[in-house]
Formats: sequence, C-alpha cells, structure tokens
Amino acid sequence: MSRLPQDLEARLTAAAPAGVEYSAETDQYGVTVAWLGLASAADLSPVATLLKDIGARLSMITCTQPSAPEEEEEDEDEDNEDGEEKAEAEPKETPKSFGGTPLDGTSYEIDYHFDIAGDALTIIAYVPQGGSIASLTPLFRNADWHEREMMELYAVKVTDHPDPRRLFLDASVDGAVLERLIPFSTLVNAASTKGLWERLIAGKKGAA
Amino acid sequence: MSTHNVPETFSIPVGPLHVALEEPMYFKIDVQGETVSHIDINAGHAHRGIEYLTTKRSMYQNVVLTERICSLCSNSHPQTFAMAAEKIAGIEVPERGIYLRTVADEMKRVTSHLFNVALLVHLVGYETYFMHMMQVREIGQDMLESIFGNRQDIGAMCIGGVRYDLDDKSIAYILSALAKIETETKDIIKTFKTNGSILRRTKGVGVLTHADAITCGVVGPVARASGVDYDVRREAPYAAYDRLPLVVHSLTDGDVWSRAMVRLEEILTSIDLLRVCLRDLPGGPVNINDRPDIPPGQAVTRSEAPRGEVIYYLRTNDTPQPERVKWRVPTFMNWDSLRFMLQDAKVADIAMIVNSIDPCLSCTER
Repeated sequence: MSRLPQDLEARLTAAAPAGVEYSAETDQYGVTVAWLGLASAADLSPVATLLKDIGARLSMITCTQPSAPEEEEEDEDEDNEDGEEKAEAEPKETPKSFGGTPLDGTSYEIDYHFDIAGDALTIIAYVPQGGSIASLTPLFRNADWHEREMMELYAVKVTDHPDPRRLFLDASVDGAVLERLIPFSTLVNAASTKGLWERLIAGKKGAA
Repeated sequence: MSTHNVPETFSIPVGPLHVALEEPMYFKIDVQGETVSHIDINAGHAHRGIEYLTTKRSMYQNVVLTERICSLCSNSHPQTFAMAAEKIAGIEVPERGIYLRTVADEMKRVTSHLFNVALLVHLVGYETYFMHMMQVREIGQDMLESIFGNRQDIGAMCIGGVRYDLDDKSIAYILSALAKIETETKDIIKTFKTNGSILRRTKGVGVLTHADAITCGVVGPVARASGVDYDVRREAPYAAYDRLPLVVHSLTDGDVWSRAMVRLEEILTSIDLLRVCLRDLPGGPVNINDRPDIPPGQAVTRSEAPRGEVIYYLRTNDTPQPERVKWRVPTFMNWDSLRFMLQDAKVADIAMIVNSIDPCLSCTER
C-alpha cells in the first residue's frame, strides 16, 4: 500500500541513463522507505526534476565520507541487508560504490532524503574526492542551507549554488572541518591545559 | 546610498543578542521607514559540532547526547534516533513501551506549545495574560517533573523502549493535571478568538501563503497554519499513532494568529491522545531489557516534534560508534519562510513574527 507512484521506479530509471539501484521496504505501519543509488552523480538533476514534478518535498541532505571497508570484512559484505551500497568488493582493489566511485575513505556519499506523500525516498549520489555535484537549490529552494552546510563541513564542491556563503562557520575558520582532525579542546574552545595559560602569558608579554 | 525621490533605506541589526529573541540569531534588516524591505539571516552563534560528537560516542551514549541537542523537543531527538537504531537492528519495542513513548511525546508537546503561545502574548505586550499562560504551562512542567524527575530533559527514551513506567497513582495524577490544562486551554482559545489586543497584533500579520509554504518546504504548525495539511504522526505513523484518534488541525490564513491557533488546538488534541493512551495502556515490559549490538546498516526515521518533522539518518558499522548521524529539525526548514513573512512587515512586529515559527536555534545549528 505504498503511496509512491506505481511507476516510480521505471520513471526514475528512465531519468537516470547511467543506471540506478532501487530498493524499497514497507514497515508494519504501511510506511515505505525507498533507496535509489545513482551510478552517476550527473543524473541527480534529471532525477530531482522528476521528483519535483510529482510533488516530492526535499526533507534533508546528508553528506558523509563512508570509511573504506576493512580487508577482513570483505566476506561479510555479502550479507549486508539494509540496502548497503558496497557492491563488488574485489580483493586487492579499492572497493567501489555502485557506479564505480572508489570507496577509499575520501569519496563522498550524498544522500537526498525526499518525502512523497508520507513515504520516504533517498537518492544516493557518489562523488569522488575533488569532485563536484550540481546544486538542487534552483529546483528546491530549501536545499539552500543543506548545501551550504555540506560545503563547510566537507571539501565537496556544489556547482551553481546561488548563494555559496558560509552557513554556520565563520569565514575565518578553515573549511572541511569534518575531514580534519581537530583536537577536542580546540573544538569545544575550552582547553584547560597549561596551553591556555601559556597563550595568556605570551599575550600579556606581547602587550607590555 | 540614497537616490532621488526614493525614501532612504536603513539597515538595522536584530540580534544576535536581542531582548525579544530567546536565542542568538542575527537578522540584518533593511527598512524603508517603518517597513521591512529586505532581510538577511546570519546563523552560527550556537553551532557546537554535535554531529561530529555523535560519531565519537557509542550508540547507547548517543541516546543521552541527542536528548541534549534541544530542550523543548528533547524527547523527539532520542526517540527518532532510537527508532533508527531499532530499524537497523530489527528490534521490536514492546507494546507498553510504544504507548509510553507516545505519552512522553504528547506531554512534551503540550508544554512546548503552551510556552510558545505564552511568549507570543508576551511579545504582544499583554503581560498579565503571559503570566497566566506560563502558570498554566507550569501545571504541565510539574507533571513532567513528577513523572520523569526532570522538567526538560526527561530521559524517557532508550533503544528498545522507554526508561519509565506508570502506575495507577501516577496515571490518576496525570489525568487530573490534564483536566486542569484542558479547561485553561479552552479559555485561552476563547481569549485568542475575542481579545482585541491579541487579534489586532496577530491577525493578517506575518503571512505565509500556501504556495510559499510549499516552496520553502516548511513543516509542523507553520505549514499547517498555511494550509499544508501534513503531520508525520498521520502521514508516516510511528509509536502508537496508527491506533489513536489523531486530529490534524490546519488553517488557511498563514498569519501569526493562525500559527498560534493551530498550536492551541493541538494542545487539546494531545490531551485527547494522552487520555486514550492512558486508558488503553497495555501491560508487559516497557523495554526489551537488553542492549544488543547494533549491526551495520542505514536507516531514515521521522517523527513529529512539537515544531514539526524531525528526520534522522543513521549509518552504523562494526564499531559501537555510529559512522554517521545526521538529523534535520523543523526549525532548520522554517527559518527561510521568515523572508516571506517579514517582507513588508512593520518593525514592531519583527520579534513577534520570528517567535511565530517557534524558532529553536540550538536544534538548528547543533
């Protein structure tokens, strides 16, 4: 009793010529959660246009850097359920995502979570390190903040964003904060080691 | 910057620290005389990096951490997070736990809505009535403190159920508190429909049209007051909502008054839902009484917080820590609609219009 359009999978497949990987499951409440992996991130725009046409609401965008699967886990990858996208983990080669983006811990997986009349559809696009993805803000106005946040947390480039300013982080902070190791004390700005006192003393000397 | 024959535009800062705003948000507002012509929103004053922290803590520690993202919807965060973990691990919450989750959810909704509407009355300048409404809300806060031992972070949720239980005595106490709140809320609704001071300040102010509401993708009472008839509890049910007589309230005017009225009506609905839950409360355990490892996987779950749809994305791996937790709170979507609501508004109404989206900053910025 899914509320997703009957021919949704076919229409999505037609909109993404490079290929898709579709899965859906309905829970005991009758709510369907569907996942659509895109072989090519370039297919995002036509797929999003289709979703806009059928009245989908963009709910959230998640950017993540999937960690590289460890060597000894390769056997276990086979029995992953929940629609994991780690297909064809060939030995001695960098595992690839669906569509062939290397999963070496530096690539990005960008998930676009849509709501269609109460059911959830997540579009998954893979972007290699240094790659870029088209902005959805011209189509979905509310993608604006999500994409701006994504650009400051990761080094992923979003092309054609109408307003690519920082969202939460100040312009003086270096970007891609989730890709760098930041000491906890720096993160919470509450260093209580002697480092704080050394800075204060040095500052005092400098002022005197 | 002034040109001939055009009234001069001034820029005024509202925030980040402002008497009428509860939390730090910076609005750069261009005004022509008394009228707002353009607004720019500058966020980031309460950005704490909690998304990063979640990947450093175990799944079970994160139930505690996510509760501390926000205070007014502090129950919705751990609940939606736990729902995602349960989905990945295939955990079935016992029936009694499902009902008790709904009870905690609706209790928080009652007090959250009362707080927001009380603040609106404060911003209208009707201080005596503000005090009165806060006193009504205090009945609800007392109820939370008596049942959960805490007024805000009630610590009710855990992966696999809830951490509290109710007996006949506490159920009788909740029902008596709800009866008091119900009577008062009905009075408040009457006042909102008739009081000149409130009507003059809120009717037709800060309008968000239905089309703009769809464009902005707003959620919760903000969307419902603009005629977007959507409530996660009905559209994508969870907990016990599929078997409760849920009424979704929506209005069409999209002004400050409608948003307040949707919230007030929802308080009465929440009280009805609570009564049904407490009447039908099944027996048995309240949680699975176990802390199983959460296997690798990913899940998307949603719930209706007092302010609207909360969505969680969870990805787990072989470690006790999640690989990625991402969530989006209703206010994150609703800020943008202020650009439409504040357009051509009067300077004196800015704070009231901002309050009418029930903004929650610590949630938005995490």
